[in-house]
Amino acid sequence: MSVFVIIYYFLLLGASCLAAYFNKRSAFLLLFSLTLVSFILGIVGGVSALRMVAIAAGLMALAAMVSYAFREFLIAIASVNMAKELRTAPLTAAFGMFVIFTVAIAGIFAPWIAPFGEAEVITAAFAPADETMLLGADQLGRDIFSRLVFGARNTVALALAGTVLAFLLGALAGLLAATTGGWFDQLLARSSDVIMSIPSLIFALLMLSIFGGELANDTTSFWLLSGFAVVTGMLVVTAMAGKSLIGWLIGLAILVGVAVLFSGFMLAIFNPSEIILILVVAVIYSPRVFRLTRAVAGNVVVMDYIEAAKLRGEKTWYLIRREILPNSTAPLVAEFGLEFCFVFLLIAGLSFLGLGIQPPTADWGSMVRENATLVSFGEITPLIPAAAIALLTVAVNFVVDWMLYRSSGLKV
Amino acid sequence: MKKKNDQVLLDRLANAARTGDISRRSFMHFAAAAGLTATGATGLWTKSAAAQPSRGGTFRWGVHDGNTSDTHDPGTYVTRQMIFLAHTHRSYLTLIEPDNSLGPDLAASWEATPDAKSWTFELNPNASFHSGKPVTAQDVIDSLNHHRGDESTSAAKALLTDVTDITADGDHTVTIALSRGNADLPWLMTDYHFAICPSNGDGTIDWKSGDGSGPYKIDTGDFGIQWSLTRHDGWHGEGAYFDKVDMLVLNDPNARQTALVTGDVDCVSLIELKTLALLERNPNISVDNIPSGGAITMPMHCDTAPYDDVNVRNALKLAMNRDEIIEKIAFGAATKGNDFHLSPVQPYWPEDIPQREYDPDEAKSLLKKAGHEGLTVNLSVADSVYAGAVDMCVLYAEQAKAAGININVVREPNDGYYSDVWLKKPFSAVSWGARPTPDVMFTLAYKDDAAWNESRWQNERFNELLLQAKSELDQDLRAEMYREMCLLMRNDGGTLIPFFNNWVYARGKGVERADEVAASWGCDGARAASRWWFSA
Amino acid sequence: MGDILGLVAKRLGLGLIILLVISLIIFFMVELLPGDIAQAVLGQGATPENLAALRKEMGLDQPAIIRYLDWLAGAVTLDFGNSIVTGTSVAETIGTRFANTLFLATYAAAIAVPISIVLGVIVALLRNSIFDRVANVATLTSISSPEFFLGYILILYLAVKTGMFPAIASLSADMTFGELLHRTFLPALTLVLVVTAHMMRMTRAAIINLLASPYIEMARLKGTPPWKVIVRHALPNAWAPIINVVALNLAYLITGVVLVEVVFVYPGIGQALVDAVSKRDFPVVQACCLIFAATFILLNLAADVGAILTNPRLRHPK
Repeated sequence: MSVFVIIYYFLLLGASCLAAYFNKRSAFLLLFSLTLVSFILGIVGGVSALRMVAIAAGLMALAAMVSYAFREFLIAIASVNMAKELRTAPLTAAFGMFVIFTVAIAGIFAPWIAPFGEAEVITAAFAPADETMLLGADQLGRDIFSRLVFGARNTVALALAGTVLAFLLGALAGLLAATTGGWFDQLLARSSDVIMSIPSLIFALLMLSIFGGELANDTTSFWLLSGFAVVTGMLVVTAMAGKSLIGWLIGLAILVGVAVLFSGFMLAIFNPSEIILILVVAVIYSPRVFRLTRAVAGNVVVMDYIEAAKLRGEKTWYLIRREILPNSTAPLVAEFGLEFCFVFLLIAGLSFLGLGIQPPTADWGSMVRENATLVSFGEITPLIPAAAIALLTVAVNFVVDWMLYRSSGLKV
Repeated sequence: MKKKNDQVLLDRLANAARTGDISRRSFMHFAAAAGLTATGATGLWTKSAAAQPSRGGTFRWGVHDGNTSDTHDPGTYVTRQMIFLAHTHRSYLTLIEPDNSLGPDLAASWEATPDAKSWTFELNPNASFHSGKPVTAQDVIDSLNHHRGDESTSAAKALLTDVTDITADGDHTVTIALSRGNADLPWLMTDYHFAICPSNGDGTIDWKSGDGSGPYKIDTGDFGIQWSLTRHDGWHGEGAYFDKVDMLVLNDPNARQTALVTGDVDCVSLIELKTLALLERNPNISVDNIPSGGAITMPMHCDTAPYDDVNVRNALKLAMNRDEIIEKIAFGAATKGNDFHLSPVQPYWPEDIPQREYDPDEAKSLLKKAGHEGLTVNLSVADSVYAGAVDMCVLYAEQAKAAGININVVREPNDGYYSDVWLKKPFSAVSWGARPTPDVMFTLAYKDDAAWNESRWQNERFNELLLQAKSELDQDLRAEMYREMCLLMRNDGGTLIPFFNNWVYARGKGVERADEVAASWGCDGARAASRWWFSA
Repeated sequence: MGDILGLVAKRLGLGLIILLVISLIIFFMVELLPGDIAQAVLGQGATPENLAALRKEMGLDQPAIIRYLDWLAGAVTLDFGNSIVTGTSVAETIGTRFANTLFLATYAAAIAVPISIVLGVIVALLRNSIFDRVANVATLTSISSPEFFLGYILILYLAVKTGMFPAIASLSADMTFGELLHRTFLPALTLVLVVTAHMMRMTRAAIINLLASPYIEMARLKGTPPWKVIVRHALPNAWAPIINVVALNLAYLITGVVLVEVVFVYPGIGQALVDAVSKRDFPVVQACCLIFAATFILLNLAADVGAILTNPRLRHPK
């Protein structure tokens, strides 16, 4: 019976008693059942199993403390209204926000945070971790920690850009279709059926094979981006201008300007092959968003207050912006979280087939793929980026769950 | 006394053969010197070098690079899986022996006229197709004609452009007439496209049925999935120890590796280099790391500045640390290049040419001589060239900095690399499969007027020697000519050769092979099924 | 019932039009792929002469539109033509493959659907408890891991380390059904892990969504036990979204499993499609895509019909 085991049970039992004394029922149940389980585990697995439990519990506690502190920190710096909302956030959501915040910081300041360059070969292959390399080296002797940090930037930016574009196009089309109805609605619905009927991985495979080669240059991606922006913008223009010809002309003029600006902006951030990937993702995922938006907005459109607004003579754009959108945000936000995860995984899957982000650019999906075969030998190298993917998607969904819960008004 | 000496020599030879110190070819050579006849020597070799192979068992062979769209058409063989299958169920006129010399397959013997313009092959009369039909001269002629003529869709058409006529003399004699002498024609016949298929009788061949005259016949199979084969009892060759062969297409590297580790297959045709060291630790698995003739080259256009100066070319060759590249990019599974396109496992490899080492100082002084200090060049490469090709170039760029050379690595797209970058950009990285003889390789990519003269190298002496050597039937003279050509390539040529990549495959427990394996393809020249056996 | 038949007929007609549009899109996408089939077949051995000969042999010298119409004329009579590369009929090439894919999908669905619905009901019942949280995190983690990676982990623990299941799911004709289930267990399990989370979360959400409704409130006030409230009152009204998400996931099991096929060397249709794309073998690509699209359309239709059947109110839309 080592000192560790004595301290272990002492702490567990003490904490259970405290929880029972202060009437924290669920905490007591958790702690006490853990104690009982530990008895069995201790007998079967010995001290090492208990040590694993202790480490896991310690990590959980650490995560909980970080989440709690982070929530208080957010409450402290936020405005009064925001603070009120934040107080309702469960610890899981706070944890999610903390992870997202960390990844965002890592991505934005990657060149300053990462000790080494993204593709810099600094040591022998698979060198173990030491004080200069937190997580050791990969198959070429590049620092895994640095690549993770840069990967946060590349992967998240790509997935985020793809999801945002998919949402812009899909949600706008869905709102417009639900509001106007008629042949326009039917046309959009059927085109989305067509795209959705082609499996996403295959569709991406074909599109990337077409545009991935010589066509992945600045000119092509500029035109594709502008085309995408014009299509999306046309939806807005249609909604705003209605039947007025002047409105159309002005709208179109502004639209072209915006499209060019947007394309230039995107080109400044991403390289052409990444832009192609983003657009492919946007085209594949927008029908899903469209369907959901149309269904959700369809439920709102039949409400009496919309009828009233229509009778007042409000324009389509006003209806969308002021009446329908505010009443359908919750499911849309939830969908955004899920779609973001799916986009993330699609990009990882494409990297697996050799079509995603091209090396030596670090991205989490291809980092898993590059070393995946090592898993069979019990090496953890490929597990690190996979864990990063899982952590981020779980974090996003924690936040989404909280928002859903908050907006559904369900207090059961 | 003499007799006793010979006995001592023979004992020593047998011992060396057992421990693998000498190759089969040198063994035969010395044994002949010791007064042993060829047959006697062969017997001694088999007895001492390898345990007697035992027959039986099903050889489950995990093979990479198979595709659903593969076909049995020998003219469009392209995937490795089909190459392995072709060597298992079909036969060729000649083959490459485990010691990398040329040996008989369907052709029992062959000889040329003194000008090497006409070759006569005597077919093995025992050879038969799986359908029972004997292999005749007509089958050979039609099979070779499948790769000739305007209508031919074969990828091997270019290899037979010099052939003017193929004729039969009786059922078992084939004569190939050439427009110019070629001493290497029997070697060419080992090319994987030139599989012999049964003739339809109208000048075409029946490749669709999958019938062949190889050691195993196909029972069932699916392209890109798996093949089941049984031993062909009437096979004309020696070997085919396994009763059955199951070939399983395993395209995913992890799938291959786990299948081998869990014992689901007995051999995999390729292992991922980064797991090489880890796999070698497994006591149940033997990894074969066999030098090949396939090379990574980096051609520089000799007619374009700054590469038109031989000093610049040699400086770039000196600025590469090949040892580090082999260690980091090829994980040790490569043979160091010496800037001539001939690997140690290929015929006529000259042993005495000094190895070129990393020497940034020498490179610097060469550049100074050329007036190109602080040289900046662009190097084009694509990922598809070789696993880690881009990393290799990045590493090379780092090494060249020590010589004051600034190399910008330009990553080109995979699609269209060989049509838009190779032969067009002045400095690029290329991967070459092995060619059977130096003549084929040099004619393809180093001759002045070759379409694929990737370095645009024009060397009068080289071209003259190449033509002379092509039709030279005297082996020693020929070897001397190739040695001189290699020296010219190394010292004047425009191609930097970092390394020759090895075949890396692995066998599970109980799979035995002879001490030597052919280097023409992975898995013992793609003939693992007919050459290996299970330990009893 | 008549209105349902009418709906089915209308949707089937629409489905045919969608298939036609898809076939056009796929045709032009394959046409647009860089390089052509002759180049893909000959690889590095291509020379201008043999390329020209091969193109002629494959009929690629004809204009694209003629080739499409040719194909369409056959497709209308359910003859999907021959593979350009191998010359064998498409039906023969992908028939068995498709059967294999269907088998794996059925296997995975038979495990995943009951588990996820039962789990969904349980976590809805125990919402916000530790069990709910753990199930939530576990399922989120499983959908958040790339599926090829899940496959590798399962192979490591269940095949390499313990040897309970084979790592390679290759099939042979003489297997018994039990052997078949054993051999394909790992790919099926991977798929189960991938799809369970989505269906379970949707079941939970659909049920919880209804918990604020007045009639649930009523049932609760009457003193009905919580499990009965959920199983008897909430679940019947939650079927529509659940069926929808099940249909979506079934479609995924058939159309989205390329990666699992690659990892486990399972001879399904996805691998055939990827191979055909790399060879630009248009008839095979076309047939595979149409099969996928038809699956998707039919499953969606089935979901809608199912939703209507479980909810009489939907039969008479206002």
